[in-house]
Parts: sequence; structure tokens; C-alpha cells
Amino acid sequence: MSATEHPAVPEALLMMRGITKRFPGVLALDGVDFEVRSAEVHAMMGENGAGKSTLVKILSGVYHLDRGEIRLAGQLAQIGDPRAAQRQGIAIIHQELNQVPELRAFENFFLGREKRTRLGSVDERTMRQETTEWLGRLGLELDPNRPLRELRVAERQLLEIAKGMSLQARIMVMDEPTTALNAEEVAQLFQVVDRLRQSGMGIVYISHRIDEIFRIADRVTVLRDGRLVGTKPISEINRDSLIKMMVGRELRDLYPTSKRQPGRAVLEVQDLSVASMPGRRELHGASLSVRAGEIVGLGGLLGSGRTELLEAVFAVPARKRVRGTIRIDGHEVQLSSPRQAIRAGISFVTEDRKGQSLVLVRSVGENASLAALHRFALGPLLRLRKEAQEVQGMVRDLRIKTPSLETPAASLSGGNQQKVALAKFLLLDTRVLLLDEPTQGIDVGAKAEIYALIDGLAQRGVAVLLASSDMPELLALCDRIYVMCEGRVSGEVQRQAATQERILDFATRFTHLPQFHGERPQMARSQP
Amino acid sequence: MTSPSIAVPVAAPARKRGRLLEKALRFQGYLGLVIVLVIGAVFSPTKDGVNLFLDLTNQMNVLRYVAETGIIAVGMTMVILIGEIDLSVGSLLALVATLTAHLLARAGYSTAPTILLALLVGAAVGCTNGVIVAGLRIPSFVTTLAMMTFARGLVRVVFGGLAIPLLPHSLGGTAADSAFFFAGKVSFIPVPALVMLVMAVITGLLLRFTPFGRHVYAVGGNAVASRLSGVRVELTRVAVFTACGVLTALAALIHGIQLNQGAPNDGITYELNAIAAVVIGGTALQGGIGSIAGSIAGAWMLGLIDNSLNLNNINSDVQLLVKGALIVAAVSLQRLQRRS
Repeated sequence: MSATEHPAVPEALLMMRGITKRFPGVLALDGVDFEVRSAEVHAMMGENGAGKSTLVKILSGVYHLDRGEIRLAGQLAQIGDPRAAQRQGIAIIHQELNQVPELRAFENFFLGREKRTRLGSVDERTMRQETTEWLGRLGLELDPNRPLRELRVAERQLLEIAKGMSLQARIMVMDEPTTALNAEEVAQLFQVVDRLRQSGMGIVYISHRIDEIFRIADRVTVLRDGRLVGTKPISEINRDSLIKMMVGRELRDLYPTSKRQPGRAVLEVQDLSVASMPGRRELHGASLSVRAGEIVGLGGLLGSGRTELLEAVFAVPARKRVRGTIRIDGHEVQLSSPRQAIRAGISFVTEDRKGQSLVLVRSVGENASLAALHRFALGPLLRLRKEAQEVQGMVRDLRIKTPSLETPAASLSGGNQQKVALAKFLLLDTRVLLLDEPTQGIDVGAKAEIYALIDGLAQRGVAVLLASSDMPELLALCDRIYVMCEGRVSGEVQRQAATQERILDFATRFTHLPQFHGERPQMARSQP
Repeated sequence: MTSPSIAVPVAAPARKRGRLLEKALRFQGYLGLVIVLVIGAVFSPTKDGVNLFLDLTNQMNVLRYVAETGIIAVGMTMVILIGEIDLSVGSLLALVATLTAHLLARAGYSTAPTILLALLVGAAVGCTNGVIVAGLRIPSFVTTLAMMTFARGLVRVVFGGLAIPLLPHSLGGTAADSAFFFAGKVSFIPVPALVMLVMAVITGLLLRFTPFGRHVYAVGGNAVASRLSGVRVELTRVAVFTACGVLTALAALIHGIQLNQGAPNDGITYELNAIAAVVIGGTALQGGIGSIAGSIAGAWMLGLIDNSLNLNNINSDVQLLVKGALIVAAVSLQRLQRRS
């Protein structure tokens, strides 16, 4: 199996053997082998909790292994801390980038290794120049003086990749790099990855998006429950066998196949406009409606205004910034706070689980009942037993994996956290459910459960409005899809007529797409 | 225990040890209290075979001494639970204590309206803090720093720089009796300690058994998520700061009546003592985690340490050293807890 037995196979840049890591009570990694060759993109996959991030943290010197060995270019290596990893040519592009938003791009690029002039002051000119040069090699033109917080996620990522290159990295680990990117940016990133590969770099690519793996990876390694399931060349597997490796069983129905019968219109939005605000797109006269028992999709590129539309319906922005009418069950409602929206029967599960959905330091139980406390109130008191009963029922129904109701929400996996966020509103009498990227960063198994859950709610007559960047998800789950572009609803597509091309067409209706090396932008595609 | 989910693989011995450590950390306030009690008793001087530290009268004096800090710490705990801070409590204490002395000794008010007015002033100052923090979105550190300065200036401008004496003979009849109830005892327990206990229990129950309590923890843990869950975040903040003001005013009443005076220069660094008690009691400065019981234990522990050092004739400067070290120790324990 190893490179030395097959002279024809390119040399392994990284060889990890029998990696074992135990945490109190959990065997996170159990004798895992992993290798990366020069000029290869090696995808690492597995459900949440499979051990991917532990392996990456061992590689980056954050954790120390209990057993096993790491060889870099054949030499036994000790990776004591992140700086040692950097010195030995390992660069990690984290999901949440370790950058300082207040500093300018070039300052971030040289953070901790600033250039100095002969007089000892910071040599901004050289730093600027070099930043521009390195970014240029990736095909990105960017004013190095711009503060980081003004940059798009994709630009920040490329800055981080360029930084890794400038540090002479031989191995680059990318942890879910496409989570916050739109289709064009993904295409751009993939071109960059391709360049890195051609330059002989070894790339470890971690993603939940199966479609991406087939577009970019040469080999794929699957982990499950801390064990190695297998390493295969991408040509030897297909989507189904990959899912089977990850989940450990056949996952036949990712999407629910039931028929729904939509009833009367429950949510009607007319000419909804929201004035602009830093970090938020403005909305221009958006109109849409959702019927009882209907799942309506909200498509569009990242930053097209989907989140802003959902927020406006949920009365998140200040009242004075919002124009337009919202009707629930035919009655116009004047909502001035999320509290009132909830009382009017609207629920909103945000895309930012950790930042906006959950109080991570508090328990699963307290999180689940937070929005529904008034239901358990008896005078000024809480009926704790009734609360515990209903929350326990919810934990059972949604199959939330948690040691107890008292466990802090922070210690659950992403999929289970998302279920808690959903449970919060299922304890209420919801008429309208607004979902923003409900399956982002969630593994396949949990995804299927959440789809089933959404479908079940629709069956019970809830009107569901679902914003998503995941094309296959929109196409498979929704009865109708509205597409947004530049803060406007640019089109509506019926289920029968819905194709990725039509949605993309509407999604780019008002934009002049930047031509990026002449390639047509793509959204995540499903394989038939 | 019948929950059907959960297939979390856990090794049994590690879990047991983890739990023990977890428990120890969770009750660090009480644990510290027990340790201090033991050490205090061991190193206590004895007189005629009586352990002076453990002597009931001594212990009751400690409780009396702890009560002011303890009552303020109850309010401070709520403020810190929502992720804020209140630096104005010391100045507010001076303002209310002096006002109380003025009303009783000079303006000829009877007890009931004086107490009411004192609590109202506390509420007003706390509410102002809350409105500025929640409404104008000025960080509470800045807001209450300003209020600390402002209230101190106010009490000096209005009442001058001198203490207003408040002596039993300067008052007449039953009003005085009821006022001095605050300085008295029920059976052998000092009234201030009882007031502290009652306030702690009420607030503790409020936090544990009411929606308001849940909101306090939620707002401190994640204000955005709380708002999106329908919690009235601003209202919660104003209510908490108001409550802290009222509790501080209550402490001020006890302070004034016990010392038989209200002085514009009283209460300096009281805010720091209260914060120290809260932090030692295991409440996280970032908000969202902590308990009233812990803060009371923290305040009590600080009182016992002072008392023990006093009994051993160790000067007050050394006491400061001990307190400082203790705060660092308590916070590093919290770090440990968060990692586990």
C-alpha cells in the first residue's frame, strides 16, 4: 500500500500511521492511516464526529497523538504545536478563518512576521507589494489596503491560501472551504486548488458536499466513528458507494417522497422593502406567498437577499427600516419584534446555529424551551415537570443525540444542534416556518432526518419557506421555488419546471457575472 | 433515564473521575467555604478552651459583616449573569445611606417612608443604568463607571462632605425601634444576615423557577439568539439593573443603621468586593453561567478569611494579598471547568 512498494506512485508527502487519540471517555481516533502524495487532492469525508477534525488538529499540532507515527516526506516528524506544523510545511485553511477583521489585508498576510525597514519600522511598502504578488499568483486582484472585514469570505480564504504558499507549505488542509461560498466563488476556488495541485502541493480537502468531491478530488478517505473505513481513488467509487461508506448503511431516501396537498395561503408578503444597513443587503419590493402544507424554496446566490427577506418577515430589522405588508391567514400583521412574530405563529431557524440560534453555554433543555416558556408559565412560575416532559418528548421525536437534557448545547454535534434549534419552535404552535440553510455543515444521515422532519411539518399544515444554497436540496424538497437576485425576487419556478439552469438563470438575472478565466459559473450539482 | 437515543461511548472509570472533578468545580464556592472554615478553625487562637473562630458569637458577627457585600452580590450576580457589570453600587450605597440618615435624623421622616424612598432611589439609579445600557447601547462598564462618578458627586454636592450621624436618641419613639430592627437580632441571628438570606433565596428561586430567570441566563449566554427566540432582551437588562439598584439600596439601609451614620465617602470599593464574591462563587464574567448560592458562598468565604486573619492579628494589608490571590485561583478553576 505504501509509496515505497510502488515506485510508480508519486512520493507521499505525508504519511500518518496508526493514529490513535483518546479523550476522556471517547476514543476519537482508533489506528487511522492517512497519506497525502505530492500533486494530489485527497478528500477526507465522514459524518460529524467521525474524527476528521481530530485528525486535522493532530496534523496541525493542536492535539498530540497517543499512538501512531507521522512521517513528512519519509522522515519521522514531531508536530508539537501549530508553529511547528507551519515550519514543517503544513498550512491549515480553517473553516472559521483565523484573521483579524480590523487589520488591513496585507497586515493580516504578514501577521506575526512583519517586514521591517533598516530603521526598524514596519515596512508597509514591501509588505503590500508582496501581498499583491502572492495573490496575483492565485489570479486574484485585490487592494492590499482594504480592511479584512470588507472582504468577502472567498477573498479572505484566498488570502489565507496565498499566505500558506508564501510560507512554503507543501501540504495544505482545507476544512469545509466552500461552506460560505457561492457558485462562482466555488469555481474560482477549485481553479486555485487545481493550480496548487499542479505546483506539486498535497491538498487535504474536507467537505460534506459529496458533489464537490467528485469535481475536485483524486482520492477519498472515509472515516467513521474514529476508524478508517477506506481510501479509494475517486474513479473507483460513485455517490452511492461513498454515502454507504460514510453512513455505514444504504441511505436510499435522502429526500422524502411523500405527496403534499397545499391548502390556503398562510403567509403573504407584498412589496417588502428593507433599507440598507452595514453587512446586510437591502430588499427591493419582494413579494411571495406560501400556502399551508407547502414547502417553498428561496434560491439565489449568497448575498442575494434571502436571509434579509426571512429576517424582515420575522421582524428582525428595526420597524422603521421596513416597508410593505405581511399577511398571516389573510390578516395583515404589524410586527415590530421577533417576539411578536413568534406570537403571530412565525418561526425562524437561522443559518448561524452557534451565533443566532442557540445559547451554547446553556443546556439542551433550556435551549429547546426558550421560545415557548410562556406555554409552561403558571402565574410567574414555570411548570418544570411539564416543560421537561415536552422537551423530552421532542428529544425523542427528533432523535436528538444528547446524554441528557442538562448537557450544554455546545457539546452536541452540528446536526443535533440544528435539531435543538428546530425543537425550539416545534414546541410552539407554528403556522409559518422560516428556515435559512437548515442543513449547512450537517452530515448526510442527519440531513435525511431533517428533511423528513420538514416534510412532516408541512404534512401537518405548516407553511414552510426554505432558503438554501444547496441546489439539489431545493429541487428535491420544494413545491415551488422563488429565486432572488440583488435583493429582488427575480423569478418563480414550479416544481415540475424546476431545473438548475432555470434557477441559475433567475439567480443571475440582474448581475453581470465577472468573467473568471472564461469558465461558466456552476452551482452545486447533484448526480443523477 | 429511559431516553431512547444516546449511543455515546463512554469509559466508566474516566466518567466517574470526571464527574467528581465536575462536581468539585461546580460547587467551588461551597468547597472553598468548607476549606476556609477548616483552616480558620485549625489556626484559631483559643481562650479558656473555646475556639474563638468557631465561637457562635464570632460566626454571627462574621455573618453580620458579610451581609452588606452579600446583598449587593445578589444583585451583582444577576448583572454579571446577563453579561454586564455594575460599578456604581459603592457610590449608590453612599448616596442611599446618607439620604437615609438625612431623612431619619434631620428631615424627621418616619421609618416606613424612609425605607420606601431609599429603595426608590436605588431603583431609579439602577433603572437609569439599565436604560442607558439597553437603550443607548453604551457598554455597562462605561455606563456604570459614569454613574459611579456621578452618584458620588451627587451625594457630596447635596449632603456635603461630612457624615450625618444617626443615633437612637436623635429619633423619637417607635419609628426608631423599627428602624433599628435592621441592626438587631432574631433569636441569635443578626437581622442583616437574615435579610441577605431572604434576598438570596427569593432571587435564587426567581432565577430557577420563572421565565424571567431563564431569560436572564439566555440573554447572558447569547443575546442575539435570545431576541430571535422572542425574549425581550432590553427589558430583561433594565429589570436586572433595577433589581441590582434596589438590592444595593437595601444594603445601604443596613449599612447606615448599623454604623449609626450615613457618610458620602462610604462604600468605596464595595463594587469590587461584590464582584469578587460573585467571581469566587463561580459565575462567569462572560455571562450565562452562575448562581446566587455561589455568590453568597463567595461573600461568606471572603468574610471568614478576613475574620480568621483578624483573630490571628494579621494586618489588613495581608488580607488584601490573600483576597487577590483567591480571585485568581477562582477564575483559573473556572477555566479548568470550561475545558473539561
